[in-house]
Amino acid sequence: MIAVLALVAGVVLGVVLEPTVPLGLQPYLPIAVIAALDAVFGGVRARLDKIFDDKQFVVSFVSNVLIAGLIVYLGDKLGVGGQLSTGVVVVLGVRIFSNVAAIRRHLFRA
Amino acid sequence: MTDEDDQVPAPPDDDHRGRGGGGAAGRRGSGGASPWFGGDLLAELFANPLEPGYAAAARRRARHPESPGQRRLGVGLRVVSLALIGFLLITAYRQAVAAQPEAGRAKAKLVEDVQERRTETDGLQDRADRLRDDVARARDEALAGSGGLDRRLKDLETVTGLGKVQGDGAEVTLADGPPPVDPVTGKPAATNPGRVMDRDLQDIANALWSAGAEAVAVNGRRLSATSTIRAAGGSILVDFRPVSAPYAVTAIGPGDLDRRFADSATGKRFRRYADQYRMQFTVKRQTGLTLPAATEPRLRYARTVPSATPTPSTSPSGGGR
Repeated sequence: MIAVLALVAGVVLGVVLEPTVPLGLQPYLPIAVIAALDAVFGGVRARLDKIFDDKQFVVSFVSNVLIAGLIVYLGDKLGVGGQLSTGVVVVLGVRIFSNVAAIRRHLFRA
Repeated sequence: MTDEDDQVPAPPDDDHRGRGGGGAAGRRGSGGASPWFGGDLLAELFANPLEPGYAAAARRRARHPESPGQRRLGVGLRVVSLALIGFLLITAYRQAVAAQPEAGRAKAKLVEDVQERRTETDGLQDRADRLRDDVARARDEALAGSGGLDRRLKDLETVTGLGKVQGDGAEVTLADGPPPVDPVTGKPAATNPGRVMDRDLQDIANALWSAGAEAVAVNGRRLSATSTIRAAGGSILVDFRPVSAPYAVTAIGPGDLDRRFADSATGKRFRRYADQYRMQFTVKRQTGLTLPAATEPRLRYARTVPSATPTPSTSPSGGGR
């Protein structure tokens, strides 16, 4: 409950503040979103498995976003930014998928 | 290095599997049966997507329960990071919306404008039609009992397209044929000879007139003596209003209008088109057709008669400047 409220509060904050993303950070935004979603779904699954841990969640969120951003940054410098972004998206996408599948099994037993 | 060298090729003999598998499983804290890292990275990824840290943290918690202070700190951190995630999501969303090409947005706005104006003109047209009906009624009342004058006016209106008409007649429907497919590439050709052009509708309307039609309408837009059928870009305009396929040219006229049209040179030509280009073309007899009045022609030279009493005219003539 508190988690949903916090999420909504963040959204409202974003709507109210209307932040502009600096040009240099714009390529990392989609990757950061995917990484954050991965952390969120991992957290939800852990919650349903009754092993949720705040510290673990925060660390996984921060490190996911940072590492994903770092990989893309490195790729940009090496000239393979697009490919590495794709790689990150694929890996995180697979994780999101199977986490959502586990959540679905928990909720619907199917 | 030498130590690595005998491990990296990872031959699938039991000894290596046993050692490597045990190590990997131990490190990851997943349940035992994890194979040697080599080719099964993807399988591992699919099978075990949950952060193993969660399980480890749960075990740790089971051993040493958290203090209330730690708990509060954890909840606070969770709330902050979730708020951050929400912020991130909405920011990315806004960014994506803002990144939509400028041209696309301008176009959407234009489409909106066009639609708005179109509903506006439709409303005005409706109003004009209603007012015209009022005028016609008032005129009929005024002419009642003037002996044949109203009849003559009605006939004239029918012929000029200014009055609504009902009767039997024919309907000619016409639609684009499929574009020819290039036999080599399998792609539809860029030019389609089976496409209905403004010329086709003009020809059909003219052929219907010459077959004895008294009133003709294209997709419900009545044609008068000054009507135009033109093309603009890819679309056909009847009196400057776009009409779209399938095109239905309805006409009121003598009972054998459909036969007369079908036997005319134009009718035969379109049947040939239908065979050749697979254009859709049908001629049907129709009964009980109602064709609306054409839009009032703009008065070019006529002016309203100045009234006898010198009151300032509040309604200048429709065609004036």
